[in-house]
Amino acid sequence: MTNTEVTRTATRSPEATTITRAEAEALLFLECRMLDELRYEEWLTLFTDDGLYWLPIVDGDPEDAPKLISILYDDAQRRSERVYRTLHTPVLDQAPRSRTVHMVTNVEVFATAAGPRILCNMLVSELRPGGPQQGGLNETRILPARCEYRLRQVDGEWRITLKKVLLLEADQPLYNLAFLI
Amino acid sequence: MEIRKTGLKLAKSKPKFVDLVRETEDTFDLHTEIKAAPEVFDAEMLKIFEEGWVFVAHESQVPAPGDYKTSTIGTQPIVVSRNEDGEIYVLLNRCRHRGTVVCRADTGHSNFFRCPYHGWTYANDGSLVGMAMAEGWPKDFDRSELGLKKAARVARYRGLIFASLAEEGPTLEEHLAPAKKYIDAWFDRSPLGSISVIPTAHKYPYPGNWKWQAENGYDGYHGNFVHESWQRVLELAGEAPVSDIRKFRRGGRAVGLKNGHGLLERPGGLNPAASWAGRMMVTHPEYAVALRENFDEEYIDYVSSRRNIFIFPNLYLFDTHLRVINPVTVDSTEVYLYVYGLDGVPEEMNEGRFRAHERFYGPTGFGAPDDVEIFVSNQTGGNARGVEWSIYSRGMHRETVNEEGEFEGHSTDEAPVRAFYREWKRCMA
Repeated sequence: MTNTEVTRTATRSPEATTITRAEAEALLFLECRMLDELRYEEWLTLFTDDGLYWLPIVDGDPEDAPKLISILYDDAQRRSERVYRTLHTPVLDQAPRSRTVHMVTNVEVFATAAGPRILCNMLVSELRPGGPQQGGLNETRILPARCEYRLRQVDGEWRITLKKVLLLEADQPLYNLAFLI
Repeated sequence: MEIRKTGLKLAKSKPKFVDLVRETEDTFDLHTEIKAAPEVFDAEMLKIFEEGWVFVAHESQVPAPGDYKTSTIGTQPIVVSRNEDGEIYVLLNRCRHRGTVVCRADTGHSNFFRCPYHGWTYANDGSLVGMAMAEGWPKDFDRSELGLKKAARVARYRGLIFASLAEEGPTLEEHLAPAKKYIDAWFDRSPLGSISVIPTAHKYPYPGNWKWQAENGYDGYHGNFVHESWQRVLELAGEAPVSDIRKFRRGGRAVGLKNGHGLLERPGGLNPAASWAGRMMVTHPEYAVALRENFDEEYIDYVSSRRNIFIFPNLYLFDTHLRVINPVTVDSTEVYLYVYGLDGVPEEMNEGRFRAHERFYGPTGFGAPDDVEIFVSNQTGGNARGVEWSIYSRGMHRETVNEEGEFEGHSTDEAPVRAFYREWKRCMA
């Protein structure tokens, strides 16, 4: 756990400062399904307003990310731009669109003063289907990653203040990642 | 040398390399095989990458003695190494004994390079300083010529390090001369006139020829089509309506320079709505003060133009990054985007530039992956060999040559890419 200043908003039940592994898994599985079903606009609501969606190139703390280049460093505005762009503009990099299957495993929950911190492993399989022998299409890619989530209660619901995805290939040449990991 | 026979017509015509570029007074066509034939690629590595000047690193990537960075010249693995005396060496990454690479990391710091196979040890300048169990060689065995082979020539311009594997040929200064004033203006966006590359790069591969990327960075014609989604995002964000963006994009010029260089230039002046530097001078007044200490208003206006500058054959200077094109095979390329901070500007200004970079570039950016889709679609389309020629003549009828010998075209014209292929043809002859 880093020294991020994460302030906890009022919670309905003050004693509920953390969650069980089953509750964490339920949240993560729901997110996986939203991403695989292209329910990107719903996915936006999983985050707090100050939440961060982050794919670093090298492992580290989110506090250090602003001074570096990340694969992706999305605040709320950038997330909503990303979803808008992907769903509602004529994107080439998602024409054809990616099919994904997200899997989450090795879920561990740690209670901290700032709220629950979840560590898990993720495997995203991705395929863009197209016509025969089209370059860059028709190949399933496997993208393993180690993830960290930090949560905070907002109006009695646990929301994401940090989703960090450290891809196994984070510092390697990466082909089209124009879908949500 | 013959090009592989891929169709009846082609088999009959058997073009030589130079015949793959066909220019008349008002036409400019490229043969499909220029990006599809392995023979062409092999010759390019030799005649363009090994006989010319190639960008290998920026000084800030090897700042201290002992620092190194591995890279390639064409497809040959190299190490860019800073020696104890501060000098930079470009060494072929190959032990002189059996040929093992002596350095496999991307970047790092080391007092020496030791071959993992039999322990031969080389200093940071490449000289052979240790042979394990040396009694296996005669006492007078001459080690002096068995250092890591050095690139024949290494030269720097404003921190950009270039190397050539050829003993003979134009100097770096001669090679860069036609682009020099643009390179200078690009660096002079920093009040200190210099940049520092930060240690995380965006990298993307694509299954296509390296020249698709070379052709695209100064192509002002594709933006409204390939990047319509980007323009819509800017509109959504309240930054500019799509119509204004398109109006701005009609301005400026595309310029083909001698020696294969070129640029796309869009002057914004100090208008914050159109110009990057103008905007930064408004949001960061101390930046404006620093620039004004160095330059007059006219030069600041010149510096503030948006420029994508291509340095033949493998480097682009972009507003946020150095873009290095790494050919792998005829239909495989890796592109590295080395993002840099401008020295001497407020830290939050550089951080703003980094966020702007992430927004558009890299594998999840709102623009770069769209370009890559085109490179790949181009390569696939090239398999339709029933069509032999592609058209690169846009704007020839309205192009002018100025007193400096620059080919100036409308910002959507193909003047720079024609300059690229004229130089390509000269190298490949």
